[in-house]
Amino acid sequence: MKERVLVANRGEIALRIMEACERLGLDYVAVYTPGDEQSLHVRLPRAKGKPCYRISSYRDANDILAVADEAKCTAIHPGYGFFSEDFRFARRVVKRNNPLIFIGPRWEVIRDLGHKLNVKKLAYDLNIPVIPGTINPVYNELEAEAKAEELFLWQEERGLEPPRILIKAAAGGGGMGIEEVDELDMVRPVFRRIRAYAKRLFGDDGVVIEVCIRDYHHLEVQLLGNQFGELVHFGTRNCTIQSIGRQKRIEIAPGFDPNYTTYPFEAERVLKDIISHSLKLAAHVGYDSVGTWEWLVTRDGRAYLMEVNTRIQVENEISARISRIKGREPNLIEEQIRVAFGERLGYRQEDITFEGTSIEFRLIAEDTKKGFKPLSGVIKRFHFPNYEWLRVRTHVPQDEPYRIPTEFDPNLALGIVWGRDTFEAERRGFKFLEETVIEGQTAKGEPLRTNIDYLKEKLPEILKFL
Amino acid sequence: MALDNQKINQLLQSFRANPYRIFVVVTPHTGYLREFLVKEGDEVKGPAGKWLEKPGSPLFVLERERNPKTIRAKASGQVAKINWELQGRFVEAFTPVLEIKHTLTQKEIIAELLRKILHIVTAPEKARYFLSPELAQKIEKAGEGRVVVKPGDELAIMSFMKRETPIVHEGPPMVVFRVFFARGQMVDQGEPLFGLCLEEERPYVEKLIARVKEEWPT
Amino acid sequence: MRELQRYLHDLIDRVIYLQDIKGENWQGCALLLDELQKLKEDFYQISEAKCQEKLESLENRLKILEDRAAAALTPYEIVKITRHPQRFTLLDILENVYDSYTELGGEGDINVDPAVICARAVISRRVGDKVFLHQVIVIGHEKGHGEEFRNGGSAKPWGNEKALRYMRVAETEGIPIHFYIFTPGAYPIEDYPGAAQQIARNLYFMSKLKVPTVAFISEGGSGGAEAIGLADIRLMASRGYYSVISPEGAAAIEGKLKEGERPSRELLEFCARQLKITAEDNLRLGTIDRIVPEPPLGARRYDYQFFKRLRYEMIRATDEVILRTKSLKAFRSYALKRKSEEENPPDEFDIYVRWELSEVEIEKLLDLRSKKYRAMSRHVLGLSKRCLKDYFEKTQDVGLRLYHDLRYGLLKQGQRVIQRMIEDLSGEGAAFLKQLTEPIKSAYDLLASKPRRTRAKVVAEETALIDLPELYVSPLALEDRTVTCPNAETHGCPDIWVPDLYGEFCGVCPNCGYHFPLEYQWYLSNIFDAKSVKEFNEDIEAGNPLGFEGYDKKLALAKKRTGRNSGIITFQARIGGISLICAMLIADFRQGTVGVAEGEKFIQACDRARITKRPFLAFVHTTGGIRIHEGTLGVVQMPRCTMAVREYIDAGGLYLVVYDNNSYAGPVASFLGCSPYQFAIRSTRIGFAGPRVIRETTGEDVPPDYHSAENALRRGHIQGIWDRRELRKKLYEAFLSMGGKNLYYR
Repeated sequence: MKERVLVANRGEIALRIMEACERLGLDYVAVYTPGDEQSLHVRLPRAKGKPCYRISSYRDANDILAVADEAKCTAIHPGYGFFSEDFRFARRVVKRNNPLIFIGPRWEVIRDLGHKLNVKKLAYDLNIPVIPGTINPVYNELEAEAKAEELFLWQEERGLEPPRILIKAAAGGGGMGIEEVDELDMVRPVFRRIRAYAKRLFGDDGVVIEVCIRDYHHLEVQLLGNQFGELVHFGTRNCTIQSIGRQKRIEIAPGFDPNYTTYPFEAERVLKDIISHSLKLAAHVGYDSVGTWEWLVTRDGRAYLMEVNTRIQVENEISARISRIKGREPNLIEEQIRVAFGERLGYRQEDITFEGTSIEFRLIAEDTKKGFKPLSGVIKRFHFPNYEWLRVRTHVPQDEPYRIPTEFDPNLALGIVWGRDTFEAERRGFKFLEETVIEGQTAKGEPLRTNIDYLKEKLPEILKFL
Repeated sequence: MALDNQKINQLLQSFRANPYRIFVVVTPHTGYLREFLVKEGDEVKGPAGKWLEKPGSPLFVLERERNPKTIRAKASGQVAKINWELQGRFVEAFTPVLEIKHTLTQKEIIAELLRKILHIVTAPEKARYFLSPELAQKIEKAGEGRVVVKPGDELAIMSFMKRETPIVHEGPPMVVFRVFFARGQMVDQGEPLFGLCLEEERPYVEKLIARVKEEWPT
Repeated sequence: MRELQRYLHDLIDRVIYLQDIKGENWQGCALLLDELQKLKEDFYQISEAKCQEKLESLENRLKILEDRAAAALTPYEIVKITRHPQRFTLLDILENVYDSYTELGGEGDINVDPAVICARAVISRRVGDKVFLHQVIVIGHEKGHGEEFRNGGSAKPWGNEKALRYMRVAETEGIPIHFYIFTPGAYPIEDYPGAAQQIARNLYFMSKLKVPTVAFISEGGSGGAEAIGLADIRLMASRGYYSVISPEGAAAIEGKLKEGERPSRELLEFCARQLKITAEDNLRLGTIDRIVPEPPLGARRYDYQFFKRLRYEMIRATDEVILRTKSLKAFRSYALKRKSEEENPPDEFDIYVRWELSEVEIEKLLDLRSKKYRAMSRHVLGLSKRCLKDYFEKTQDVGLRLYHDLRYGLLKQGQRVIQRMIEDLSGEGAAFLKQLTEPIKSAYDLLASKPRRTRAKVVAEETALIDLPELYVSPLALEDRTVTCPNAETHGCPDIWVPDLYGEFCGVCPNCGYHFPLEYQWYLSNIFDAKSVKEFNEDIEAGNPLGFEGYDKKLALAKKRTGRNSGIITFQARIGGISLICAMLIADFRQGTVGVAEGEKFIQACDRARITKRPFLAFVHTTGGIRIHEGTLGVVQMPRCTMAVREYIDAGGLYLVVYDNNSYAGPVASFLGCSPYQFAIRSTRIGFAGPRVIRETTGEDVPPDYHSAENALRRGHIQGIWDRRELRKKLYEAFLSMGGKNLYYR
């Protein structure tokens, strides 16, 4: 039977999944909501005669599965966002009467690594460094205060001034239910507040207390595993340049480059450590897909495991751009699909080499001067240059006006450049940003802003501890 | 006043000539359209009862993931243009299934009229809207048509692209005569959110409503 | 002339009365009426003598009809007598039975509830040539001979609250209470204090009311009657009825009638007969103590003979209650004497009994009352001696109590010391203990073992209330399909995959928090510590004590389908190591209705909790009320169980009620509603009567969320709403933080 993949996502990732399917010789089916009808992720497959189904929402598992059955799909690719890290969805996909292949890790793995506290506990047990703090939710004030005191002390001993801790909802995420505290007297009132908030919002009043780490780089390790226990890494990435809402704007692979800038610590050793720690945890849980291990690296060269993303990420391609499997550049989405269908890797870590630096820019309709406020409107003109060192991933058509749907983040395109070294990549990055044109109008008739100027401004800061 | 007497008369005339609206009933989601429960020409009822606790007339059965769901009429009227070929087939979300020709009620005529004659605050973006808590509280206490907003007062909160933006009243102090959206409703850009009028216009508007009530008794 | 006219009118009234009871054209009634009406029309055309003659002959015919009617009254006809506007009401009694009275808190329609009358009254007794006056408080329903504002004697919640207020007055002043029950049922509205909750409060109070109480029942409509019915002696009018439900209500249920559909006369007669509602029936069942005879077709408002009899009966009953507390001998000789007078009571009493009690006598009074209700209806279970012995034989009871006192009394002291130590240590023990979201153990660990200033490391694991290792998964979950949340329209909930919903989500919609119903087994398996549930009294069996036709089959089916003998499961279990007693009413068995077996099991569980100093949890998976097929035998479970609960709470226990799904009527209006700690699981409905009954009695529609837990909380009927997923934790917290001082772990 020919495998057929339901692409349960939108935008550029849907397009990249379709492309990967074509290269692997797999059939595929697209879904879309009415607001996305103009998007290339609908127009391209439609032009190729692939089935496209209108659904009520990308978040409606029932519609997605009903379409999968109707279209006789054998597998579902969730992309990123939406259902990609929803273990219940993954479980339902494989447990239903008509089971399908979920292109991602086993649902148990998604569940176990999806819970930040659980990751922290697992990591702690494996002697992987985590941010000092509680590994179980705290429910009572006395204990919270005692813990906070310990953590203040710990920072004082290390000369971290001024000491500061984070009190956050155990069940929270995305910056919700989190507060910084810099004196012991504030612990109780804040604890109470967060607890009430967590209770109201997440239905669980567990609270976590951690040291507040400032002045760090956000690093990632890209892993790939399969059901046979094969496990490799594709190096590291640096995603420190983020909006104030902690959303990534520029990503670079590899994570540090001592040839480009100097570090107050031994950068190569840190990268090696976080890779080996990540592999250790992945092996421990039997990780069987692509995944990203997120780390914080502080100015003194300490690394702490933050969380694991059990999905393909937006920035996966920069890792692919600097990796060579037996000399050839891999496609991580293809690899992800292959392992989901039960294939062996066909290579080992020794077969993977690294070459050059790759930078990804996220082109977004937003007002970076006003708190990265997302903008909507119509794109009238969209142009980017054509170079062999450049790849642009976008669902925005270049041949007709495009209305930005308001239900989603206004991501327009990803620009991925590659250079033999970081200096070259940086130069090419500037060139790309200079030559790219996005013009449009907001609903009020004003010119549509994008973040291109912001990206230019931030590009010189990459990989550096300033 | 946004409209003069003559125009209002024209408006009322148009309601008299065509007191109908067509509601297109679409599938709320994908699934198999198992069965039609109405035929063309049938009269159907929308939700009824003091608390709208009695559901509308059943129209058709849509089954998805072994959950057959009876889709019911949201407005009363006469069934027309049934898309019979959908019977037994898998349908996509938002597929038109049938139409309901709905005779406007007194309340609806008033609402439409008010949209035409009041100072309308429209939705700046297609987004979800929430009444500002203070205003909601005031309206609950005093009733619609009794609360005055001053420039700078917060009218509503727009939830747009995961952010919340306040919508603030501009211009002279005005009476909030109507709120056109339900809590958290998705409103298309340019659609009305609020109908306002000047304090001195209020008696006129109220008189007009009385006139409509007389002409279209419930 | 005037007299003749009155004679005529009187006869017309009598025929109409007869028609009202027996039907319009019963044995030529209509003809008789026609003739009388004609006579009325022609009254001035015919001579007086002829008229007199004619009237006499008509009266003779009427008399024959009346005798015939009285000889063959069906239960439903008795109901009609009881409800007839000409029947005597409480105000008639106050006028004619008592020598003087002052109505308290009401004057006609200027009244918090004109359906309930409270009065300070004086009743006199003649002994020889002396007249003695007794002070009493009279509390009862007023039907008002058709006055609309009296609401037919349906007490509003605040009417019952008024009744309770004057019971307190009686207690303060130490004078007896005479209750008069003239109600078709309580007015089924939920407004504060709430029909059910207030009745429950009244029962709870009456169970230990420190003055003698006598109740007289004319119309005893279920819960409404119990609101002022838990008395030391219960008298009943011979043409009254006392029933679990009106025959019309029973007919609607039995005949599965649609709303607004009128039941047939046959069906009404059938139901009235099956429900065993007459005075004779109730006397035989032991739910009343004595019958006060009325004229064959019932006493009407001008029946002075009857009022005289009633005065005698009320005095006699009050005397008996008093004397019983004094000495058995005095009581026996008094009772014997009165027994011999029964056929023809004298106008005078030969002795005067002071209606006052000493402290010791009050204790005796309460003890006797407790025994009376505990024994009531129990005979139908046919419990063997062995079963009786089990927990309740005096010697063992004492032995057990001694054991538990020794074991936990001593321990308790030790624990106090530890507690004080915490307080000294931190100075914050009290604040901490108030919170108690975690076992005390963890507090000890934290404070005792850890010096505050240590080298920081990642915090080690704390002991929290340990989650159950494995979740029992409802069999509902084993299907690959989705369901729609009932709130989908309003809250935009997506369809939920059934294995998720009934598995991990514990039946809770993840979007809006709506709780889908779950089977009782889920609670048994997921709330209590693993393998800690030990059931007892499982063989006490629900029966058909009234021989209700067609009910045997239904009962047998319920038993077969559930594999259980009754609608209640009583067991011992543990939560987080704390041992407790639980009584669980289950939906699967006749909608969790309560009859004698359920009541008895509840009482035994309650007593077991009292003796062993366990917290007592009443978990109401669902209750549809009192089981109508057991008639008033079911109704008396309300006072019975409330009595047991009161004694348990007075002994210093923790009585916790948790409602799930649907909880209505009798049980809520008694042993459940009287708990100071009532909690509801989200999405449950709690109330007195369902929407249909409310519509039919009040003529008003109620909003769909009328009985929601949120509204119950808003009205102050319950103390909180709990999420099902947190039930175990919430119960654990409750055991630690609520209740009296006499729990084994305190």
